[in-house]
Amino acid sequence: MPNQDSSRFETSKRILWIDRMMNFFISSGGVSIILAVLGIFVFIFSQIFPLFTQAEIKKGPTLQVRPGNYQLMGMDEWGELPFLVNDQGELTFVDVQERSIHTQKLNDGEQNNVQAVDYHVQTQTLVLALAGEAFRLVDIKYEPKFSGKKRKISSSVFLSEKKPLFLKEFASEETQTSRQLSQIKLGMNDDFILLATVLVPQEAAEKKEVWATLLAKEENLLGESNIEWKGAWNLTDQISGNVQNIRVNESGDILLVTTEEGFIHYFKREEDTLKLRQSFQPFAELSSPEIQSIDFILGGVSIYLVNESGENVLYSLYLHEDPKTGIEERLFGQTKTFPLLKSPPSFFDHSLRNKAFLIGNQDYSSLRYATTEKVRWESSLPFQPILGSLSRKYHKMAFLDKEQRLYLYDLKDPHPEGGWKAFFGKIWYEGASKPDYTWQSTGGSDSFESKLSLVPLIFGTLKGTFYALIFSVPVALLAALYTSQFLQPQLKKIVKPTMEIMASLPSVILGFLAALWLAPLIEEKIPSLILIFFAIPLCAWLAGYFLSRVPIRYRKWIPRGQEWLTLIPLLLVVIWFCWELGPILEKNFFIVTDAYPREKLWEMGPILKNYVFEGERVADFRLWWPQVTGTPFEQRNSLVVGFIMGFAVIPIIFTIAEDSLAAVPQSLRSASLALGASRWQTAFYVMLPAATAGIFSAIMIGIGRAVGETMIVLMATGNTPIMEWNIFSGMRTLSANLAVELPEAPLHSTLYRTLYLGAFVLFIMTFLLNSIAEIMRHRIRKKFKAL
Amino acid sequence: MRLKKQKNSQASGEPMVWMTAMGLSMGVLMILGLLALIFYKGLEVFWPKHVAEIHLKSEDGNGERLLGEIILQRDRSSHKSSNENDEGSPLRETQIFMGNKEVLGQAFRFVEQDKIKKTSYPESVIKLERREYGNAMGFPQAIYQADQELIPLKKTELFEKTLHQLVKTYNARWEEIRHIEKDQIGKINYEMEELELEKKQLEEQNTAAKNAQAKNRLQELESSQKTLQEKYQKLADQAKKLREAQQGAQLEILLANGQSHKIEVSQILEYYYPNQLSTWGRVGMFFHKIWLFLSQEPREANTEGGVFPAFFGTLVMTLLMTIVVVPFGVMAAIYLKEYAKQGPLVRTVRIAVNNLAGVPSIVFGVFGMGFFVYMVGGTIDQLFFSNKLPTPTFGTGGLLWASLTLALMTVPVVIVATEEALGAVSQNIREGALGCGASKWQMIQKIILPASAPGILTGAILAMARGAGEVAPLMLVGVVKLAPTLPINSTFPYIHLDQKFMHLGFHIYDLGFQSPDSEAAKPIVFATTLLLILLVLVLNLGAIILRERLRKKYASGKF
Repeated sequence: MPNQDSSRFETSKRILWIDRMMNFFISSGGVSIILAVLGIFVFIFSQIFPLFTQAEIKKGPTLQVRPGNYQLMGMDEWGELPFLVNDQGELTFVDVQERSIHTQKLNDGEQNNVQAVDYHVQTQTLVLALAGEAFRLVDIKYEPKFSGKKRKISSSVFLSEKKPLFLKEFASEETQTSRQLSQIKLGMNDDFILLATVLVPQEAAEKKEVWATLLAKEENLLGESNIEWKGAWNLTDQISGNVQNIRVNESGDILLVTTEEGFIHYFKREEDTLKLRQSFQPFAELSSPEIQSIDFILGGVSIYLVNESGENVLYSLYLHEDPKTGIEERLFGQTKTFPLLKSPPSFFDHSLRNKAFLIGNQDYSSLRYATTEKVRWESSLPFQPILGSLSRKYHKMAFLDKEQRLYLYDLKDPHPEGGWKAFFGKIWYEGASKPDYTWQSTGGSDSFESKLSLVPLIFGTLKGTFYALIFSVPVALLAALYTSQFLQPQLKKIVKPTMEIMASLPSVILGFLAALWLAPLIEEKIPSLILIFFAIPLCAWLAGYFLSRVPIRYRKWIPRGQEWLTLIPLLLVVIWFCWELGPILEKNFFIVTDAYPREKLWEMGPILKNYVFEGERVADFRLWWPQVTGTPFEQRNSLVVGFIMGFAVIPIIFTIAEDSLAAVPQSLRSASLALGASRWQTAFYVMLPAATAGIFSAIMIGIGRAVGETMIVLMATGNTPIMEWNIFSGMRTLSANLAVELPEAPLHSTLYRTLYLGAFVLFIMTFLLNSIAEIMRHRIRKKFKAL
Repeated sequence: MRLKKQKNSQASGEPMVWMTAMGLSMGVLMILGLLALIFYKGLEVFWPKHVAEIHLKSEDGNGERLLGEIILQRDRSSHKSSNENDEGSPLRETQIFMGNKEVLGQAFRFVEQDKIKKTSYPESVIKLERREYGNAMGFPQAIYQADQELIPLKKTELFEKTLHQLVKTYNARWEEIRHIEKDQIGKINYEMEELELEKKQLEEQNTAAKNAQAKNRLQELESSQKTLQEKYQKLADQAKKLREAQQGAQLEILLANGQSHKIEVSQILEYYYPNQLSTWGRVGMFFHKIWLFLSQEPREANTEGGVFPAFFGTLVMTLLMTIVVVPFGVMAAIYLKEYAKQGPLVRTVRIAVNNLAGVPSIVFGVFGMGFFVYMVGGTIDQLFFSNKLPTPTFGTGGLLWASLTLALMTVPVVIVATEEALGAVSQNIREGALGCGASKWQMIQKIILPASAPGILTGAILAMARGAGEVAPLMLVGVVKLAPTLPINSTFPYIHLDQKFMHLGFHIYDLGFQSPDSEAAKPIVFATTLLLILLVLVLNLGAIILRERLRKKYASGKF
């Protein structure tokens, strides 16, 4: 009895199964697509997060070394074979991997003790001051050796001269003095070695003396280096007060002497002489101006100073202008202040990778970053360190405590340059005369300070957007108002898609045209453009004015809704006329006389190189502008960008504004017209206010497009990260910066992450703008639903 | 008083209407002007110009002579004219394209209008398109052939015939050499690489215990390497022989400055007599040049030749992107419209998706580079291509990552368009379908999707148009200025997803800004611009027309 089987009315299992499957498939697929799209935000955020973290340290092995009075500690590139030097002239290498210790004596066989040591980190050279005002240079060479995949660091020590050299003259070996060398400092470049020493007289009544010795390095054809004595100077007479400390920078061209009175005397090496350049008292206003600690950080142009109460500051060399003479000179001045320390540090070491430095004494250890004035890590360690050192790669730290135990720490601080202040604050960079927002991500040398302020880029973005909007917003809104209110409806069907096509023009084409066609074309025709700018609206207004005055039978020649067609030939004539008139305007109003020295005009723009001045009067806007405003004139400037960006922005603003104007209920319009209002009154006083929110959202989306535009600004500006509103200069926007720098940025470097931060800022900016626009549109929709 | 005011206001409104009309006129003028400019500049490139012989003035009457195409004339208001009678008037310059770069040093030159004595268009000028150094122009003199008598121009018929024949055979031979060197030897190289990799892997695995099997395999590999080597040698010899045969014939031309210059026939791609062409001949030449532009590979650091690889790369990338974006976009839209419960959450998601359409394209590029290239690509490399490391396979920009990045960028476009299309399907139809006993999926599959197909298609086309024209993100995820091979070719696995590719938009950027000779690159850039704009315009127009049709259909089909 098949008819009784009710199952034949049921849907087949297959269909139900497919339905369930598809339900699941689409739901999960849809959700995951949406999640993936939102994941962009999360991913970009995860890339920038490490920029804002602190340094992390992890305790490594601890080793006991032989007792002794250790003067100095140094580290290799890998942080696996640190060395220690004691006052007996013994060099101890500590193999961290194998936990073994090797000691060797440096002043082979000689009885005299080492009175002072210094270590030149860049060249890995030790200098030992020996009795009798002699010294010895010792080169330490580290070398990685591979056996299979295992790496072992080995060290070797070279004495650069067979016998100790003498500070004052090489020749007189017999000059034996009873004076003690209490300090020795070493600085060198490829050609010179500068040694500074403090001599302590035996009788306490006598003053300590500061001596500088200059040696020339010469390499013969075989590659053997030979050291030649250039001169020695007693600098004591030039120093007022009692000598306390001396410092020489890495490249050996700056010698600093501090006195007990808290003065610093700055000597500069010029070829083979030393000159006193400056004497200053950093902590002058304090009761105890004595400088407790002074050290150069990487680069050798900035000194880190600490006084007794733990105030710590950075002084850098930068151009000072003498108020009287107007001469500019590179002198030391305070540029940074760091958070207060508990007490003056007893040891100091700086990184060879960046501007970080390690300071500390028995109570605390602190890792600070000079550029941002930030404390990367600070702690009081469970032991009492007397020496501390950073590895060359800035990835390990070593401390030696009182009981001669060596503690090793892993340091994880990949982005010390980061932080809010670095990206958004004003920073006084080395060599600059004032704090500033700067973007300059790469430089020539290792000691280069990355300048990663995003402010000039954000400024550039806003500048580009601003100039794009002051051109495109009026045009787009006027066009939208006309299209929605006055245009013949059948024409609207053609006009709107035409404008929409403009939105789809690839921006690379616009950028190319801007840079290679438009920029050279209008470069010489700025006065014409100024004329056009005023003439076009004036012409349109006058046309309307006269037409409204003529009798109705003439007025009928131009049907309502076709005014724009009439205007097109009219505007073309006006543009042509102004284009031709421009040079005449230029000849009469934009005249430069040769008031500027030619060199100065040259600096203002490469464009001016074509010109020869002979005291004549030249009519050229490109010269007139820099002379009158003091700002440069560039060929690829904001004017070009603003105009071309109009192609990208106008259609967007136009479409959305037109849509919202067209969405205003027609009943309002009919009512207004029926009450006797003119069509302009209806449009302006009735329709436009009703659509305000929609127009606002149109502008917001237009801004969003302009903010993110990449190719146009990349191609049509010079991409210089400057901060000025000058319409005739370029800019660098966030987006162009990404396109320029990201392909070159090493993966997960600070620059890479900073660029991601730029992308994040861009993302947030556009997201906010679009959200505001969306909310506005939503509101207007609600409003008209009620009507 | 009231009456008076009203009378005035009628009049005072009118100028403002005209002001708004100005906005529209400006917009339309801008877009039409831009399109006209690009069409004019882009097509002008292909039009065979007359070659002018220009005599320059000089004191002794024996002035310099130049031969070239007149590119443009311009006024330079900032430079003074050298003509003393006419002081203060702007300098008028003519730019001439002279070709013969290797002899003259520069292909372009500006000449002051006032210094030109006479311009003529001699009939006998020949223009040669060459593989290297760009075009050559001059008066043909004679043909030199190895072991044969030279053929002077006087023997017109013979000269013409020989030249034609020679260029044809030499070009054919050149094609053959290229086929051998690029396709056949390229294939061998690829196989060799594969063998080398396998060998390396085997050796690494079995350092301790080399079992017999591995040993056998190693021997096998070595023997096949040997055969490949032999094959390679054979092909290389063949190519060498052909190359030798390419030397021998030369065409002598006389330059405008009286210098005689011999040009290897093997260098000549094409030749014609520009001043002898009839109008129809010119039109034929015009289309022929367009065809060459579309079908050839670029030469001379992209400044000469065609854009076929860039065009092809754009198409492949766009299609791949569409294949990815349409199913996923449609799926997300169906979910949002048909499955998700309409509430604040879905509204928020919708706003977020809408917003995403406004996020700058470069941000997607940044994301694609970090996520696809470094994270996903790097992981794939470590898992599957570890034997090739440190050379990255997928861990660097490539076709797949570029397509995925652009797909992500255009997914909001598809979602919004599809949602709109789904929304346009009347609720009654849905209820009708469900009422007839269809399951939800059946309703979507049989009723809703077909009805909204044109709308979805519009979205897909718009996405394609946006993807095809976008350059900024591609610069970060795998576009290059010159790719050695096409992303789809005859070597296994035929579609090379990991390969870098060329793109029309990037071609424009690169040629316009990174090219060493930007003046020489300009024609190609304008032509490429035209091609890209045509591609985008056609796609957009298609979408607009489809949308209009859709509107009409639903306007009439309302219940």
